[in-house]
Amino acid sequence: MDTDTALQNARQLLEGFASEIQQPELNRLDFVIPVESLLKVVEVLKSNHWGYLSFITGLDCPAAEGAEAAGGKLEVLYHFAESAAVVTLRIRLPYDRAEVPSLCTLIPSVSIYERELMEMFGIQVIGTPDPRRLLLPDDWPDGVYPLRKSYQGFGSTSAEPQVEI
Amino acid sequence: MTKQEAFEKFIVPIGPQHPALKEPGHFEFVVDGEIVTGAAIRLGYVHRGIEKGVESRNWTQNIYMLERVCGICSHIHATAYTLGVEQLANVTVPPRAQAIRTLVSELERIHSHLLWLGVAAHEGGFDTLFMFSWRDRETVMDLLETISGNRVHYSTNILGGVKIDLDEEKITAIRKGMDFLEERTHHYLKVINTDETFLGRTRGVGTMSSQQAEELSAVGPTARASGVPRDLRIDAPYAAYPEFPVRLMLSNEGDLHARFVVRMNECLEAYRLIREILDHLPEGELTVRMPRRIPEGETISRVEAPRGELAYFIKSAGGDKPDRIKIRTPSLCNWGTITSVAVGHKLADMPMLLAGIDPCFSCNDRMVRVNRANQPQLWSWEDLRLYGIEYYR
Repeated sequence: MDTDTALQNARQLLEGFASEIQQPELNRLDFVIPVESLLKVVEVLKSNHWGYLSFITGLDCPAAEGAEAAGGKLEVLYHFAESAAVVTLRIRLPYDRAEVPSLCTLIPSVSIYERELMEMFGIQVIGTPDPRRLLLPDDWPDGVYPLRKSYQGFGSTSAEPQVEI
Repeated sequence: MTKQEAFEKFIVPIGPQHPALKEPGHFEFVVDGEIVTGAAIRLGYVHRGIEKGVESRNWTQNIYMLERVCGICSHIHATAYTLGVEQLANVTVPPRAQAIRTLVSELERIHSHLLWLGVAAHEGGFDTLFMFSWRDRETVMDLLETISGNRVHYSTNILGGVKIDLDEEKITAIRKGMDFLEERTHHYLKVINTDETFLGRTRGVGTMSSQQAEELSAVGPTARASGVPRDLRIDAPYAAYPEFPVRLMLSNEGDLHARFVVRMNECLEAYRLIREILDHLPEGELTVRMPRRIPEGETISRVEAPRGELAYFIKSAGGDKPDRIKIRTPSLCNWGTITSVAVGHKLADMPMLLAGIDPCFSCNDRMVRVNRANQPQLWSWEDLRLYGIEYYR
């Protein structure tokens, strides 16, 4: 299947679920999906044998300085790949309801990615079989999520020295 | 007979540290007598916070940062990153630079596969093969040092091109090296396919069907040894792979033996490809100018590392630093296959099985604690390895 056909198929399959569709690059489609339909969408991709889950990206998009704090959000990006074609399912989450359902029932190997997402971004993955830490040390404090933009390290507040090159 | 609790679990923890191997990881195998009935992983012992670190460094500094994600496949990390950033900046890199990138990628693949051959042979108790393959690996290490000045972090890539060039002298050296390695690789293939003891440790061990491999999202040689035709150099050619196509190396056996054969065949294919690149090395510039600030946008850059698909997600907010870089290394995909495939195998097979996926191989241990009732026994990884060899004697 060439890239264009693969993307066309994906568009047909997922059009009904997405609130927004973008094509950021020639080989990619980006679907914004409400969190409630995530499991359904993944099931549709899986039952139609469209690609495999390549990886999950967590994103922290805090509100711009000066803007309302409510403008900030977390994003979870599920990247599915079929040869060169990549379909991204983009889930937008407010900070106070950062929860996604686990995909482990559909894709068992996703457990590791979900554990990483939980500890790095503080996004709760509901129903993941093993919620223990994967990467952070055992004595890492609860409620501190290193990949959030608000995390600037422990100890001194001054950032590391800026190196000009 | 003393009364024993019926479903008592024995857990054999392996890891996290081993001074001789690369990264550390921690595994817990649940055993029933000899047979493994469950497995769990704990990683992160060498977590360095690179994904956070790149957010406070500029685009150029990050090449050097990301090249240090891995000491074995350093070049491919820098390649995935530079290709992604060039895509965001909408810059076309000169063909000669792309060809040199590809050439170094293939040299790196050879060194990685030969390194793996040695490690895997060692875990199986075949130390002669281990020493021979590592001696021969020096050939490719010397070549990498000759062309880049470094043995490990070649630092070949820069944004917009490469910083090394090839002259006649270097080309001759590479050709000579390839001839020698090709001959040796044929010899190793013969050993792998005919040595009775070795076949006893590899054939039918850790078999993964193509359906399982797909389901567990296996990548790279691990997937290809199970008959899953997945290779990004072919599926989504990058750098100079569109001009210099590679042939897919597949096997349908799915066991450890197949993983040896696929990797050795990939080495042979790499020698062929390197010669072809040298025969048709495009002339021209090595770099183009890159802007200091990268336009706003998101991109995904996927490349075929020696262990499989390496994926980068790069987001720029329009500044001189990235907003977010997500790295998904191939080993992470393949760990999942261990926890499933290990079940039902003998404890003695674990060292080989772990080595079989070529995890940017972690782990394993100064000490293994066998929790047997109230008398814990302490085993080092070396003990477990010897136990495995002894078991099969």
